[in-house]
Amino acid sequence: MKEIKNIFAQGVWKDNPIYRQILGICSALAVTNLLMNSLVMGIGLMFVTGLSSFTVSVLRHHTPKHIRMMIQTLIISAYVIILDIFLKAYLPEMSKALGPYVGLIITNCIIMGRCEAYAQHNPPHLAFFDGLTMGLGYTVVLLFIAFFRELLGFGTLFGIQILGESFTPWTLMIMPPGAFFMLAIVIWIAKNIFPVQEENKGGPVNG
Amino acid sequence: MAKKKQILYPVVFMIALTAFFTFLLAFINNVTAGTIEEQQKLVIQRSVLYVFNIDTKDDADKTVQDIFKNRITSEAKNDTTIFTYKENGIIKGYAFQFTGKGLWGTITGHVAFDPSHQTMLGVNFTAHQETPGLGGRIDEETFKNQFRELEILSKQIVTLNKGTGGNVDAISGATLTSLAIRDIMNTEIPLILEFAKKEGFYEGN
Repeated sequence: MKEIKNIFAQGVWKDNPIYRQILGICSALAVTNLLMNSLVMGIGLMFVTGLSSFTVSVLRHHTPKHIRMMIQTLIISAYVIILDIFLKAYLPEMSKALGPYVGLIITNCIIMGRCEAYAQHNPPHLAFFDGLTMGLGYTVVLLFIAFFRELLGFGTLFGIQILGESFTPWTLMIMPPGAFFMLAIVIWIAKNIFPVQEENKGGPVNG
Repeated sequence: MAKKKQILYPVVFMIALTAFFTFLLAFINNVTAGTIEEQQKLVIQRSVLYVFNIDTKDDADKTVQDIFKNRITSEAKNDTTIFTYKENGIIKGYAFQFTGKGLWGTITGHVAFDPSHQTMLGVNFTAHQETPGLGGRIDEETFKNQFRELEILSKQIVTLNKGTGGNVDAISGATLTSLAIRDIMNTEIPLILEFAKKEGFYEGN
């Protein structure tokens, strides 16, 4: 139980993939102009990361070490294709809105990062939970960024008009630069909340 | 562990795993192929009904399919599909697919005309890559409604800005997308109409 709590805290908060590990930035920039897109992307990533970590962990004693990355890529891409097919069949609107970014989940560093760093050395149930919470950490940050981008860029939240007619939308927020600004602000806030401790260990001492 | 250093083991392992996942994906693909095809058809059906001004926005998929089946017939000529809208045996209009160059990528959609090609009944865009919130606003009703019952007076089907004598207002902040739409309307649509006339999808002089 303690282990699970620890994984949860790491994934969502202390070692969040986006603002601590700076992974998965590309898609975080691309899909965060609407809350709904971010939510579906986040859930998709949780699904893929959780199941990929689980599968890698199940196979970990049988996988020859020197071809493990090929195998991880194979597993990850299989789950991404499943997700892509699912969206096309049952959520076609979402599939259209997310466009190529669903397929590009394959290249999201968070998934392979977790397979390499955690799933390889831990039992399947913990690996699955680790993947899921890392995905959750990603989702939370995406939603946070999308909240401000959608609200300021469209005046809406989940498509519902919040700010009145007189509000002038900040078009910049829904364009790519808006994502850069928001992400930088998130990372800046995170850096201030969690002062860097471990990074000084063993590294060169700054003069 | 010694076994894993052999050459054969990794190869067999990789082949077995690939075979497993390939089988799994082929199975899922097979199961969902019908649904995906139906969804893609629905997008076209909804769009065609929309350009004929038949409101199906809040209708369930099944209702849309029924309405489409009862009122619309489609015919393919030289890779172009022509949709004919009939009510009680009387032709109400023809719809065509069009593609053209947008600001960021190809814009695809449908456009409908009355049988005599005098009035544009409606326009809809099914795929585009315009900037969300700017050019992407071509999807909004306020923009698309401007093409409803638009009379075709000259070769220049669309001229921008009502304030200066045009018939369609551009989207503010999205000048280049608006110009792209105007150019598609003025270059692609006459070609489509000419083709339709030649093929007999035309009633008039």
